Amino acid sequence: MGIEGKIVEDIVKRFGDKVRAEVQRERRVKFYTDPINIKPLLYYLKEKGFIHLSSISCVDWIKENQFELVYHLWSYEDKVHLMVKTRISRENPEMETMIPVFPVAETYEREIYEMFGVNFPDNPNLKPLFLEDWDGPPPMRKDFDTRVYVREKYGMIDLTEILRQGMDKIKGVRDEDEIL
Amino acid sequence: MKTRYFEYFIGPQHPGVTGNMSYHLWARGDEIVKMEPSVGYLHRGFEKLMEQREWIKNVPMVPRICVPEPDVNEILYAMGVEELAGITPPERAQYIRVLVLEMARMAAYLFYFGGVAGALGLYTIPQWTIGDRDYILDRFEELTGGRIYHIYIQPGGVRRDIPEGFRERVLKLMDYLERRLKDYDRLMFYNAVVEKRTKGVGVIEKEYALQMGVTGPNLRASGYPADVRKDDPYLVYDRLEFDVPITGDGDIYSRMLQRRLEFEESIKIVRQVLESIPEGPIMVKLPHPLEWKVPQGDVYVKVESSKGEYGYYIVSDGGVKPYRIHVRGPSMPHCFQAAKEKIVGMRIADVPVMIFSLDICPPDIER
Repeated sequence: MGIEGKIVEDIVKRFGDKVRAEVQRERRVKFYTDPINIKPLLYYLKEKGFIHLSSISCVDWIKENQFELVYHLWSYEDKVHLMVKTRISRENPEMETMIPVFPVAETYEREIYEMFGVNFPDNPNLKPLFLEDWDGPPPMRKDFDTRVYVREKYGMIDLTEILRQGMDKIKGVRDEDEIL
Repeated sequence: MKTRYFEYFIGPQHPGVTGNMSYHLWARGDEIVKMEPSVGYLHRGFEKLMEQREWIKNVPMVPRICVPEPDVNEILYAMGVEELAGITPPERAQYIRVLVLEMARMAAYLFYFGGVAGALGLYTIPQWTIGDRDYILDRFEELTGGRIYHIYIQPGGVRRDIPEGFRERVLKLMDYLERRLKDYDRLMFYNAVVEKRTKGVGVIEKEYALQMGVTGPNLRASGYPADVRKDDPYLVYDRLEFDVPITGDGDIYSRMLQRRLEFEESIKIVRQVLESIPEGPIMVKLPHPLEWKVPQGDVYVKVESSKGEYGYYIVSDGGVKPYRIHVRGPSMPHCFQAAKEKIVGMRIADVPVMIFSLDICPPDIER
């Protein structure tokens, strides 16, 4: 049993059936849990040496009507990458902030708030990050169609139609030339 | 008496060499009391775009995410897709990939030296380093056809084999760069102006760096030995011999010195690769690119870029297009945590130097 197995065993011993674990490959372990368990789990993992929060990913599983949040943790000592996964509802998505555990989570959560509309009520800094004067829906959601949005917002002209008309015009000129 | 603050803006027109971004500063006299990074000038929505294209069509797009070092994006995308699809690229291709990555790292470091020295007002150094970087780009052009964006590494291998005489020319270039490093030492690291301006300025302590997610050369400059190439070996890095140098002061000078020392290691790696590169194919056969369905699953792949840990989280639902790709650029914690908090208390003239020394790259913050 490698170091990955030991970590899984330790977590299962501590959290029981609240956390489901899966060893993906060497140096990659996945944990699945409910949103309520995330904070104690991350606290515990941080104590165990997983001090580096690489990132927080958000995945929009629109068919299941859920958002998946993935906390990427890395231990410099064990040299194992953890993906702690949890799912929240897509209706009024809300998640506890992880700033008390990892201060660096502030900006990652800010980005998820902007791109997916997941609210983090205790995060003090949920100002817009990349998008300025944005009034549309959160753009990284699967039901956000960039083309439709652009057409509705800016009244984009159909380029293919213009091209077709242009081609007709050129064709017309050429026809006249031929007549002359 | 009411205290009055001056507000300053650095940027957004290229406050440096790597893209548009602005820093909003509040200063009392010459001392900074608050800094607020303001991004949003470079958001191109790559993650959304990638979801709308077939797997193979993303290959020419990913390098655009980071301008100074595009190859890390190519390798991450390729590695992630290969892991999902269960493809092992041929050995020769893996060696060539390491060669490309290390040359890209050197090019990025040369750019970095130029950037920091430019911010210090020493304009000879950028002229030299960016000139030398061009010699690396020449070799890239020969190998891949492109100078900046190579679109060379793709899932399954690399696009072209090493051309005739390429090996000798790269070795010659390595000798040249090694000689050149001595000049840089005299010009930059034994320079009284540089020492005065950078020693003891902008110190990031080890504990703080670990807490705030600082990675890569910046973390090593703070004295913590961590390198993805050693800790989570990818490609053939576990077969190559190289050291991870550690400087420990955490100030601007040690961040520069850190990269200077790593430059030598990169030269070492390139020489080893050219010596031990095996013969064989460079590409495995892939399914029809437009009907290629990558099996369901999710992976996190990461590499050591010139700026720190660069990672891709790739999710596939078994379709012809990626379901979700999340790009973890190294600059976000460097900018929003380390720089934001450590710039407070600095003098205005030191701010650009600090920003450059952390190698903050707006394109990979925003994607």
